[in-house]
Amino acid sequence: MTEAETDTENVPQSKYTKDKKVGEGTYAVVYLGVQKHTKRKIAIKEIKTGLFKDGLDMSALREVKYLQELRHPNVIELVDVFGTSNNLNLVLEFLPCDLEVLIKSKDIMFLAADIKSWLLMTFRGLHHCHRMSILHRDLKPNNLLLAPDGQLKIADFGLARGLGNLNEDLSSNVVTRWYRAPELLFGAKHYTAAIDIWSVGIIFAELMLRIPYLPGKDDVDQLDVTFKALGTPTEQIWPNVSNLPLYNSLRVYPPPSRQELRNRFIAATDKALDLMISMTQLDPSRRCNTSQALLHEYFTELPSPTDPKNLPKNKPNEPTVESNGNTTKRRKVE
Amino acid sequence: MTEVILEDRSRDMCPICKTDKYLSPNMNFLINPECYHKMCESCVDRIFSLGPAPCPYPGCGKILRKNRFKQQVFDDLQIEREIDIRKKVLSVHNKLQEDFDLISEHNKYLEMIENLVYGISSGDNAHDLEIELAKFEQENKVQILERNMRESERSNDMAKFQDAMERLRQEKLKIERKMELEDEEFTKQQKQELLNKLAHSSLNSDELIQQQMNQALKRKSQRKKILQELQSEMEDKLRTSFSSAKEEAPKTPFTPFKGDRDLHKLYRLLPIPMDIDTLMAGNSDPDSYSDANLTLLAKNKEYLAAGWRLHTAVERVMDETFMGLGCIVDKEKSISIH
Repeated sequence: MTEAETDTENVPQSKYTKDKKVGEGTYAVVYLGVQKHTKRKIAIKEIKTGLFKDGLDMSALREVKYLQELRHPNVIELVDVFGTSNNLNLVLEFLPCDLEVLIKSKDIMFLAADIKSWLLMTFRGLHHCHRMSILHRDLKPNNLLLAPDGQLKIADFGLARGLGNLNEDLSSNVVTRWYRAPELLFGAKHYTAAIDIWSVGIIFAELMLRIPYLPGKDDVDQLDVTFKALGTPTEQIWPNVSNLPLYNSLRVYPPPSRQELRNRFIAATDKALDLMISMTQLDPSRRCNTSQALLHEYFTELPSPTDPKNLPKNKPNEPTVESNGNTTKRRKVE
Repeated sequence: MTEVILEDRSRDMCPICKTDKYLSPNMNFLINPECYHKMCESCVDRIFSLGPAPCPYPGCGKILRKNRFKQQVFDDLQIEREIDIRKKVLSVHNKLQEDFDLISEHNKYLEMIENLVYGISSGDNAHDLEIELAKFEQENKVQILERNMRESERSNDMAKFQDAMERLRQEKLKIERKMELEDEEFTKQQKQELLNKLAHSSLNSDELIQQQMNQALKRKSQRKKILQELQSEMEDKLRTSFSSAKEEAPKTPFTPFKGDRDLHKLYRLLPIPMDIDTLMAGNSDPDSYSDANLTLLAKNKEYLAAGWRLHTAVERVMDETFMGLGCIVDKEKSISIH
């Protein structure tokens, strides 16, 4: 073995190829690549440094810190981390699609069993995070990625946080607005894993409606939209709510009757509605947790969840890197 | 121009009695699948009420029966005719996919039906084919009938099942609505009662309100229970009457957690007061965890409002304390994940 070869094997970046730039955000550039010795497709997230006076971006550190601790079929896998001369590279599993794309593409039909399957996988992944006392804090369809084999994976742990000391203050300015739980909207600083459950509940609703359930225009409007749909919290249904920092006199909407919800979610079964209601309880202490949700009868009633392999997939319009010239002919299926 | 108008008029006019749709808007046209000549309803009544009679179209003369007349669905008579033929052929050749071992055989069968339909409708040797079809029907009468029976039974079952489901849903809705109404009535009544009591009783108002709230709560939980029982009862009924409707069992049993759950904790949690009242009272159980800081947090209203609970906090701390104990690294490493 020549000296040059042994040399490259020890340098981490030479184990992967960076083939194509697929996206760029404020803090990172994402490349597609291949892990050389396994031929496995991967995504490399190159964190931009030097933008901040403190050095690295927080979210990158968070992502590394928490993904290293998590290993679950429904959580994105962090394959490797390596630093080059002036930046940090995260090697992540390559996941070509996300749930938002599917929700938005109108030519794809969702069956009740498909929604159940996605929700089940989301809960399994989230249960694992919560079991490790890690809050995701940014769950939305855009962050639920889909593997080629249909598995759903929770991704983007840039806002995640482990629950540390019991009396530690947490920032309430987390989670994308439409999926933000009411206690966060009220500025609570000691919230629990229930904020993730709320987000999943809203995603569940969005999967059924195919449009965002609570699309607030700004933070104030978000409160209004949320309570218009689910009723304004009072001390009776949510004890001590008035002690939260941003709680003030609100427009009072009555809580929706079951019939109203049934009319809104016309295709939902009673069990599905039950689960959604228990996930979108305004009072966080009344919201179900991941174990309760997974044990809910909704998952055992018919139809049983679709096998991930058979879930609807996005048909790529533009040729991806993998199709090297040979277009797949669509066959008529009898 | 005039031609178009004439054609338009002739389309709305019965060629037999010359009644115009413009003058009698209620008139309907009927056709007979023997010859597809259209005439109005009253003509059909007039000519064929007394029994089979020849078609009144000049040069047709086919013997028609009144009960075979039907409304025209498609403008194009060619299509109308093909559909009638298809219906007839399918009523004779009524095998289903499940009657074949191979899908290729089923496809061949479908192809044969298509050819037959095309042959009869396009007309070259239609007559021969029709005779052949009739012969086939004669010879296989029993099997055809059997298959028909089976089909109708199945659709019957389906219809019955849907019917029962719908009825169940209606029933449930009715009960729920009734309960909602009753609840409303109850709260109204309670309010009135409270006002009366507040006016006349010697107890202080807080206690009275508390009492009232307890009552309401009790009632609510009772309600819930009744509703649940009712629902499960109804579903049971449905299930037993249609046990055949869902024979298919999942191939692998459903596991919600797929093994990712800590069922056997290494520790036993001491009793923790769940409600704030006992905490507030301060008489700490000697058998529970005593941590002045934690108790302070558990009483903080802001913490409470955000969903923070002493119970979950203690459980998390214990989980984290025991996490990794009893885990042998070498063994874990040897088991590959995925």
